[in-house]
Amino acid sequence: MNAASMPLRAPTRASGESLWRKAARKFGRDRLGMLALGVVLLYALAALGAWLGWWAGSWADLTGGKWEPVSGVHWFGTNIIGQDIFDRAIYSTATAFEVGLSVALVATVIGAVLGAFAGFFVGSWIDEFLLWCMGVLDAIPFYLFVAAVAYALTDNPWAMQVAMIATFWVGTGRLIRGEVIKLRGMEYVEAAHSIGVSELAIIFRHILPNTAHILLVQASITFVSAIKAEVILSFLGLGIKDGMSWGLMIDESTKEVLAGFYNNFLAASLLMFGLVMAFNAVADALQDALDPRKVG
Amino acid sequence: MEILQYALRKLLAGLPLILGVTLVSFALMVYFGPDLTYQLLGKNPTPEQILEVRHQLGYDQPFLQRYMQFLGEIVTLDFGDASTGEPVTTLLAKTIPVSLILILPGFILGHVVGLLLALAAAYWRGRWPDKLIMAVAVIGMSVSFLIVIIGFQIVLSSSDGLDLFPVRGWNASSLGSYLSYVTVPTLATMFVALGYDTRFYRSVVVEEMSRDHVRTARAFGLPESRILFRNILKNCLIPFITRVMFSIPQVAIGGALLIESYFGIPGIGKATYEAIVTGDQPVLKAVVSLTAILFVLVVVLNDILYRVVDPRVTLK
Amino acid sequence: MMGDISVPVLRVRDLTIEFATEDGVIRAADGVSFDVQPNETLGLVGESGCGKTVTGLSILRLIPMPPGRIASGSIELLGRDLVLLDNREIEDIRGRDISMIFQEPMTALNPVFTIGNQMADVLCRHRDLTRRQARPLAAELLAKVNIPEPADRLDDYPHQLSGGMRQRVMIAMALSCNPQLLIADEPTTALDVTTQAQVLQQIKVLQTEFRMAVILVTHDLGVVAETCKRALVMYCGSIVESGDTANLFSHPRHPYTAGLLASIPRLRSERVAELPVIPGRVPDLLNLPAGCRFADRCPRVHERCRVERPPLAGGDGGNSVACHFPL
Repeated sequence: MNAASMPLRAPTRASGESLWRKAARKFGRDRLGMLALGVVLLYALAALGAWLGWWAGSWADLTGGKWEPVSGVHWFGTNIIGQDIFDRAIYSTATAFEVGLSVALVATVIGAVLGAFAGFFVGSWIDEFLLWCMGVLDAIPFYLFVAAVAYALTDNPWAMQVAMIATFWVGTGRLIRGEVIKLRGMEYVEAAHSIGVSELAIIFRHILPNTAHILLVQASITFVSAIKAEVILSFLGLGIKDGMSWGLMIDESTKEVLAGFYNNFLAASLLMFGLVMAFNAVADALQDALDPRKVG
Repeated sequence: MEILQYALRKLLAGLPLILGVTLVSFALMVYFGPDLTYQLLGKNPTPEQILEVRHQLGYDQPFLQRYMQFLGEIVTLDFGDASTGEPVTTLLAKTIPVSLILILPGFILGHVVGLLLALAAAYWRGRWPDKLIMAVAVIGMSVSFLIVIIGFQIVLSSSDGLDLFPVRGWNASSLGSYLSYVTVPTLATMFVALGYDTRFYRSVVVEEMSRDHVRTARAFGLPESRILFRNILKNCLIPFITRVMFSIPQVAIGGALLIESYFGIPGIGKATYEAIVTGDQPVLKAVVSLTAILFVLVVVLNDILYRVVDPRVTLK
Repeated sequence: MMGDISVPVLRVRDLTIEFATEDGVIRAADGVSFDVQPNETLGLVGESGCGKTVTGLSILRLIPMPPGRIASGSIELLGRDLVLLDNREIEDIRGRDISMIFQEPMTALNPVFTIGNQMADVLCRHRDLTRRQARPLAAELLAKVNIPEPADRLDDYPHQLSGGMRQRVMIAMALSCNPQLLIADEPTTALDVTTQAQVLQQIKVLQTEFRMAVILVTHDLGVVAETCKRALVMYCGSIVESGDTANLFSHPRHPYTAGLLASIPRLRSERVAELPVIPGRVPDLLNLPAGCRFADRCPRVHERCRVERPPLAGGDGGNSVACHFPL
């Protein structure tokens, strides 16, 4: 037997691929996920168009009679004062994306940063303080909190988003905190520390990027939560004040359905359901694709 | 008694949380909140009247003093009178029981059925029962609670639908009428809870199924069904309990608010909503305080239940 | 004594086990055949991934059957083919006629039930006993594996015992219904050296007392040398050599066996520059070569080896070996 330096062990698949490339490949193979992604992009396009004024511009105009049924002119009919429901539903898509994206982005960033600080300095007063903040925010019932913020920021159109962000960052924060606690014990952090890299740099350049896969999934979950919450908040009068949203449409429709007119309700519900289902499916597929345990 | 001592210690540890919640709520709702002076005055108030009312409402006092006063109210459980004139405590005593019997069935059934479905989905993992249950779960997750409520109302209660249940309102004077009024809200609550909870429970069960001790049980000839319902289930209890406990503040209270407002049921949720709309501060202060206390109680109860269920956990 | 012909407790013939993976079908065990005689300790040796654990698990059908399946072959327990049994029947066999213990004593027991509870589960399952009746029996069994104060231990939870004690509890459970065969899958790998020796000793003693056969699955040649009378060396899903342990160690016939033995660090009279190691790597199970699977790493390889797979042959007092040009 001549000497060599190979250990006696069955080989694992040597994969030089990064997590992202592998995930992209896996995602590409997930037909349901790709279909859902297509649907989401379609919605995004509709929203963009409405936002830019390409279509649905006449959502507030009285273009028809009361409660007209579905027709070639009014694809979903009209509501009680004669506005085109389809236009309103499409315009609401833009609102949904506005709310969803703004809340998801800001809440995820805040959650990531604060969670990372809490986790990196676990056990210290920073951690205790941030945990206390998260606990307090968890303890206040969501609707009460939104109402309270709406009070404090009277007449500010962003009150709802602020309240949402202040609530939704906590979930991400806790997850990131847990992950950072795990990661900070890893050797590359020790190594970086020992060559004098500052703690801030370690957090932002070395640790946080490794949580990106969690953040992506969390952002999609937050997007969905924001859209769903908006519906209830608008119904309660705590949501969107000017403009149109699915929540406002549903609020309108609550009186209408008891009189037997369902178009308003169906239009808003179905459209919202479509976007949320698709987004949930994308988030699921993302999670599957990024799950390191399922790789290979 | 070890458990009592432990509970007390944990309750004390929860004080900062209560303080935090009350502080935040107080700051937002009362201090920065709407100025109610003019609501209580008639037309053309004199400067003296204005000052009088402001003094009554405490607006001329510094923040800390007003906050301390608030804390005092919590401790003595005396929040003054609601805008309707009746004492807040009376209002609470009237409405809380209604909310309880409204929410409890849906809450309990939601979790229990969710767990059972999760067990079924995990047991037949990858096959059609699993896919069906998960598909229904995703749908439950994707629909706004409000939409579910309205939808159920249309389908079950309206004249265009099955017309089986009352459209709104509340009458619990007899069991029959209680059942008739509570069914639609219960079904709506369950539908939404099934979405999130079933998915979570399924992942817990699947994880527990992959544990070594399950293989050991199998290796000694225990039948699969017994393994599922005894060996695996007991190990799932901790995440289950945590989930149930921590869904109490948000789901029970938030859900109650929506259901009661929509169906016109005179519970604490509806009272809270009306307080929000009218800016009725005594009521809001009371509700916030109670929620904070409830939350801390939930945390403590959760820890105690851990000890009961998992022998590895020690009370420290 | 009439004759020396004893009926083997277990007779495995041409066992082939496959796993369906995303990238294709893997044959974890390929045409494995062996006998286990009553009262003997048979070692199943090889490195990780060679198929020894899968083989052991398949006897009691403990392989997850959606991705895995027994593609062909038979496993006869005293004449009865286990492969043909339905699930209910296999559940009867498990723990009663054949018992298995595993590698990780830390996680092998259910953490939320007491030891006594778990032992009673097994006793009541296979023997017609009530839980009350099972309790004193469980205590007896614990005493047999030298656990101090056995009656008290019954109310303990697994996390309250040490790793070695837990493994002994497993052994006690495994023997509680007097099985004819005990399969031990790396029973000592997760234990420290002193405890290892104790547990192995325990198994030996109990084997004689309960008169059962033992299959010891391990990668540790030292353990094999100590406890097994016969051993099978597995490589890449098949048996490459089998025979008496003494012969195996002193006169290995397969180049792989020789390589394994040579690579055990030990005291030598003269210094060597490097520890001898078998060059190359185990072939990818999805891309198995035609011909002998050890060919790429074998110092004695010939043309024939790459083309034709050598069958397991030989015997007559020496070791059986699957090699065209055995040592």
